[in-house]
Amino acid sequence: MTDSERPSELERTLDAALARTLTPPGVPAAFRAKLRAALVLAGDSNLSDARSRLEREQREKLEELERNYVWLRRRTLGTMIGGAFAAGAAAAVALPWVTANLGPVAPLVIASGGAAVGIGIGLASWLRSRGGGDFQVRY
Amino acid sequence: MQTAVVDAANRHSDIAELLRAGHRDRAFEALLQRYEGKIYRLCCALLRDRAQAEDAAQESLVRIWKALDRFDGRASLSSWIYAITRNRCLTALERRRVMDSLSDSEVETELADASAAEEPSEERSGQLRELVDLLPERLRRALLLFYFEERSISEVALMLGCPEGTVKTHLFRARAALTEQLRKRGLADPHLWLESGL
Repeated sequence: MTDSERPSELERTLDAALARTLTPPGVPAAFRAKLRAALVLAGDSNLSDARSRLEREQREKLEELERNYVWLRRRTLGTMIGGAFAAGAAAAVALPWVTANLGPVAPLVIASGGAAVGIGIGLASWLRSRGGGDFQVRY
Repeated sequence: MQTAVVDAANRHSDIAELLRAGHRDRAFEALLQRYEGKIYRLCCALLRDRAQAEDAAQESLVRIWKALDRFDGRASLSSWIYAITRNRCLTALERRRVMDSLSDSEVETELADASAAEEPSEERSGQLRELVDLLPERLRRALLLFYFEERSISEVALMLGCPEGTVKTHLFRARAALTEQLRKRGLADPHLWLESGL
């Protein structure tokens, strides 16, 4: 260090004076307590955010279920109407052949058999739903 | 600043370890022990107001706590903490600038008057504080933090987010400006300061 680089007496004194004057401020006494309270509040807002997010998700899920339910009902109705007309058409085509080959009572026997099968399926489904079977939805 | 960043990263490996293990609360507790004072002092140096500094320090710590999970370790922990703190202080300064635009001009006038005053203040300490307050903002911040952080230039550089060379330059200019002001006021005699006990 050359003489020109060496700090002068004034600079040294000034440095010491600054060190004594510019003392680091201490953290306020209640700082931690206030911080804890602020953190709790921030946590609450996180919880509240999470709650509203879950509520929104639940709403969306319910809307989707509702849409699917309506779609299912329409599909079932469509299938029933289509099926009925298809059955009518098939019967109109097949009836002369069945009567000619199996006898005049055959159409009545076939129709009674189909009705029995349908009623059987419906009855079984109704009984299972009443008995708390697999079709019951739990919440 | 590079060596300081590496040092800081090594110093805080335990906090990073706790974070990796998913112990956010314990990591934050350790961070609080180490940085609470530094964050508050940085806020004091940037904001020049103890009450606002306390608020800004608190807001910074809440932000740090919220974002701690997302800290990826790419930057050093201290650089990350100081960057959040500086951003909070800048927001507070901006808010204050908008709210107190009128009173700011009054303060500037007062400072200008104080600068023009020929007579020294009653106490040397008060005079020195007054002169430090008159320094340009960047020089004053560097000077305050230099003495707050026990003359650690690397720490001041991390806190202010600038290279160590810039801090050294600011310190040099701050001292030169102070010496010049002391000369102008006829207070450049070292014995005067020694006698006053400062």
